[in-house]
Amino acid sequence: MKVFARQTLLVCLFAGSCFAAAPAPDPAKPGEELFRLSDVSGHYGGHLTIGQRSEPKTLNPVTSTDAVSREVIGRLMGDLIEINRSSQQTEPALAKSWKISPDGRTFTLQLRKGIRFSDGHPFDAEDVVFSFTVYMDEAIDSPQRDLLIIDGKPIQVTKLDQYTVRFALPRPYAAAERLFDGLAMLPKHLLEKPYREGHFAQAWSLNTPSAGIAGLGPFRLKQYLPGQRIVLERNPYYWKVDRENQRLPYLDELVFFFVGTEDAQVMRFEAGETDVISRLSSENYNLLAREKSRDGSQLADMGPSLEYNFLLFNLNDLGGKKLDEVAGKQVWFRDLKFRQAISAAVDRESIVRLVYGTRGAPLWGNVGPGNKLWINQSIPHPPQSLETSRQLLKSAGYSWNSSGQLLDPAHKLVEFSIITSSSNTQRMKMATLLQDDLSHLGMQVHVVPLEFRALIDRVFQSFDYDAAVMGLGGGDADPNPEMNVWAATGTSHLWHLGETQPANNWERELDQLMQQQMVTLDYAKRKQLYDRAQGIIAENLPFIFLGTPNILAGASARVGNFHPAILDPYTLWNADELYVRGPATERAGTR
Amino acid sequence: MSYLLRRLVRAILLLLGVSALCFVFTEMAPGSFFDEMRLNPQISPETIAGLRAQYGLDQPLAVRYGRWMKSALHADLGYSIAYNAPVAPLLLSRAKNTLLLSGTALLLTWIISLPLGVWTASRRGGLLDKTVTLLTSFLVSVPELVIAVALLAVAVRSHLLRVGGMTSSDVESLSAFQRAQDIALHLALPVFILVLCETAVIVRHVRASVLEVLGTPFVQAARRYGVSRTRLLFRHVLPVAASPAISLLGFSLAGLLSGSLMVEVVCGWPGMGPLILEATLSRDLYLVVGGIMLSALFMIGGNLIADIMLFTVDPRIRKAAADAS
Amino acid sequence: MRAKTAFLLAALIGVHLILLFGGFFAPYDPTSQNRELPYAPPTRLHFRDGAGLHLRPFVYNWTTSVESDAPDTYKEDLSHSYPVRFFVTGASYKLLGVYESHLHLFGIRESGRIFLFGTDGYGRDEFSRVLFGGQISVAAGLTATFIALLAGSLLGIIAGYYGGLVDESLMAVTELFLSLPWLYFLLGVRAFLPLHLSTLRTFFLLAGVIGLIGWARPARLVRGIVLSSRNRNYVLAARGFGASDLYILRRHILPATFSVLLTQASLLVPRYIAAEVTLSFFGLGVNEPVPSWGNMLTTLQQYSVLTSYAWLLAPAAALVVTSVLYSALADVFHSQLESLTT
Repeated sequence: MKVFARQTLLVCLFAGSCFAAAPAPDPAKPGEELFRLSDVSGHYGGHLTIGQRSEPKTLNPVTSTDAVSREVIGRLMGDLIEINRSSQQTEPALAKSWKISPDGRTFTLQLRKGIRFSDGHPFDAEDVVFSFTVYMDEAIDSPQRDLLIIDGKPIQVTKLDQYTVRFALPRPYAAAERLFDGLAMLPKHLLEKPYREGHFAQAWSLNTPSAGIAGLGPFRLKQYLPGQRIVLERNPYYWKVDRENQRLPYLDELVFFFVGTEDAQVMRFEAGETDVISRLSSENYNLLAREKSRDGSQLADMGPSLEYNFLLFNLNDLGGKKLDEVAGKQVWFRDLKFRQAISAAVDRESIVRLVYGTRGAPLWGNVGPGNKLWINQSIPHPPQSLETSRQLLKSAGYSWNSSGQLLDPAHKLVEFSIITSSSNTQRMKMATLLQDDLSHLGMQVHVVPLEFRALIDRVFQSFDYDAAVMGLGGGDADPNPEMNVWAATGTSHLWHLGETQPANNWERELDQLMQQQMVTLDYAKRKQLYDRAQGIIAENLPFIFLGTPNILAGASARVGNFHPAILDPYTLWNADELYVRGPATERAGTR
Repeated sequence: MSYLLRRLVRAILLLLGVSALCFVFTEMAPGSFFDEMRLNPQISPETIAGLRAQYGLDQPLAVRYGRWMKSALHADLGYSIAYNAPVAPLLLSRAKNTLLLSGTALLLTWIISLPLGVWTASRRGGLLDKTVTLLTSFLVSVPELVIAVALLAVAVRSHLLRVGGMTSSDVESLSAFQRAQDIALHLALPVFILVLCETAVIVRHVRASVLEVLGTPFVQAARRYGVSRTRLLFRHVLPVAASPAISLLGFSLAGLLSGSLMVEVVCGWPGMGPLILEATLSRDLYLVVGGIMLSALFMIGGNLIADIMLFTVDPRIRKAAADAS
Repeated sequence: MRAKTAFLLAALIGVHLILLFGGFFAPYDPTSQNRELPYAPPTRLHFRDGAGLHLRPFVYNWTTSVESDAPDTYKEDLSHSYPVRFFVTGASYKLLGVYESHLHLFGIRESGRIFLFGTDGYGRDEFSRVLFGGQISVAAGLTATFIALLAGSLLGIIAGYYGGLVDESLMAVTELFLSLPWLYFLLGVRAFLPLHLSTLRTFFLLAGVIGLIGWARPARLVRGIVLSSRNRNYVLAARGFGASDLYILRRHILPATFSVLLTQASLLVPRYIAAEVTLSFFGLGVNEPVPSWGNMLTTLQQYSVLTSYAWLLAPAAALVVTSVLYSALADVFHSQLESLTT
């Protein structure tokens, strides 16, 4: 081993010029308007390794759909306005300031001057207009296009001068500046040609040479080895500086390894081969916690996430489909007292203890304790009470036969299935616990694990299911991304898809509240509206809420400025601030 | 010659059949590639429908198959939806790595199992035999995935082997010999797991068939006549006992591309395994079909070699073929 | 030799009897949860306490320690000891699926709990689950193996014996079978079936699916054997004497395949039992809360479980024991076969 290392060193020193060292940060140019982070400090050098469960599929910010690709793309790209994951508030990024018109429909953004892409090419309003043109192009069908369509009309983007851009919304939209986070600014000088030639979707695939990709993020592409790893190196022109006016990022390189499975992620982190790990399950977190005292790794339990898991009943209109059995059971599901009885029977405390290993929180509404800005604190949190359930069922006309089985008012045995994704062990566990709870009420419940896409097909397409345990949320703390779940005609209105108008009074009221809060610009007024909406949801139980996991992340001892957050990307959102602790850098030939 | 020609025709028919059934099966399975986006409240069904149309997913089955067939004849296996890149280069770059892994495992497996099977059969009931039987029972009953995870854990904790990927981060700076060394260290764990699991099966079969032959009259007679052990083994026992072993070799060859899938995923080896597994689960249609076509080629090749070996090695079959012609 | 065979048969029959009468040997219902005791280690049996040595073992309950960081560290609650009683009345179960009974081999008084193999993530008794789980797993594995070997040997014999076009087309079909993406087919099957399947239906489904997919390999192996044995001298001689095809098949060809079939059987039974793990992923396995070795092995695929809760390896151990017994049995049959042919 030692001989091996010595040989490596010798070869490195000789070949030092042959393989490029990470670029040093470019000295600040006059007229370059940099973003100073006054509370950030660290020192240069070194690299950090992250294990990813699978391989990124593309580096194209407009067409990428999977989380793994976005994890890498996010480090290469910059946005006009960013949401600081720690504070959950927006802060200026490539746009150094912006003005909102009094009616809330026009945003005028001032761009920072003198900023360059990672290949040195200057950035200005042309790139911004080009980027939005691409995002909103109907032929490309970017998933981000829908963010920019409000009320069926696209946002108008106009260049006012070289560093000023105006965005005109068809109508006021609350917290509109949050839309800009995640909309990467594209280099017109590299991407205009593929766009005009009509093969934009094939641009920036993984085979693209590193010179063909340029972005405004803290890193740029250095190397990609298929199936093995992606190596990012420092962007020498990155426009953020730290407290001492040193240009960020501190790291020379950021390496993403494709390790294959979640278990492999944990094992490699345990062995010290990777430096950062996020979205740990509670079992793995506890496993790592046992080793913590030995190796000094930093484990963080960030508290409840924004995700909410729930039991969903099939309340869709089944006319035309041959689903008589399900239709027969819908008589029970549509009865509010039935749903209330089930909600009262759920042992949420056990869910938190057994499914999340105590690292989670029970939920009675769609907004959990992790969302401090928007949670309605006055929603009741009743503990499990089988007695309450029985009373509710009795008052709805249900009864029990001699074997203790539950009969509906028509003396039919109450029996139904809960489907859930077989790849999500936590939701399967919740379903099993539910099944046991409901058996105490005399209900015959079956847990049916299905492959993920088969589940989606039943919930969205065929409607051939009774009930499902699913999860939503987690994207942003703001209520607006959830519009399609709660609006009556929304496309994620899972319990009753395809509505053309609200099905009943509370849906109507909920719909109105959500539409109103979407256009209310004042936070206090919005909060009132959304509180009322949460109340309606918690009273009428379109979903029976179960629980939410905590966000668990970890970093090795050598990672500095490690500040995980409960918003995605949990650990790498401040990749530009991360640095390697310790006196010297490991790689020979770096400086 | 006519035999090979017949096999070629059969191979083409098989590939046609497999490709058609592939498409049919994919149609049977519920769900499609863009389903994950439906769960995102911020993406509209119009966008999803537009994407589906872009990749031709809304076309009827026959149309899609026809188009694929046409381009396949020009060696263009279509596009991967996830990677937005052509299928053939994606597959071939990974297939190389898989062949390296499974080829090495195959070689080692047979180098170990043949002698071991013969030895335990000839010294039946001995200590080695009993140990081997116990070990193979254990290896066969525990699912391969559990074995792989357990061995991975041991390897990672002991820091003995390089785990994950095919090369280390500083591979550019190494000489050719050191690079080979590096790859070998990364190869060690997945090969070990594969060899362990496959040897168990093959040893059992070799042992059983050698035992069977050892008990036949002509072998016992040869023994009594004083024929030496080695001559007995190589000239009399092995050729006759070879049949199941050859069929198994055929299976090993046939599974060169597909057999190591789970091990590659668990160990992070950059082969076809992780690529195909993810493509299959996410319904990345053309990538899956391309992968299956490639594996089918190996399947055909492996069985062909096995059949040829069967005819040449086993004197009884050879004689029958000679008699027939 | 004979003593060893007798011992082996006794052990195998014993294991199967225990599984068959699982409800009697298990102290608890396999689906009853003890939510305060997830991942509890096996209960310790004590024979000695302050008063001295006892013949009858006794146990203490587990309680959780006060550390909040690790929710499942347990220590024994020494305040109350529970002697183990035999032939007790407990949870009801159906003997052989028909007769309802309450009798259990052993148990302890109500507020105590005896977990011989510890508990799983819901606090369910692992020992009871292994016993009940074996019922469906072993049965499904045996049936699937039987189906696969029956179909495989039939087709392999036909292919090998008649040769020519029959052989080539049958072998082409096996190649087809081995190349196809069964994943999608299974997903299609699952979509086609009703959501909830009773345990009995799941059993048939498991056995059927595994057998249906699994016949191809045995077929090829058998075909190879048949190819080489159909031209042996005694077969030619029998033909010369005017023996019919069926006679030759029955008296000469079929016995030649027994060796391979036995080896395959001893290899396939445990493999097919474990195959349920993959099938559960598609929703084609035994569903919660009903236990089966297959769905219990699924939890073992997680690294955290493997390292932290060693007692959950019980179904794997049970599977290994069963597999060892079966392969030893196959070995015995092998030697019987030899002594028959010599």
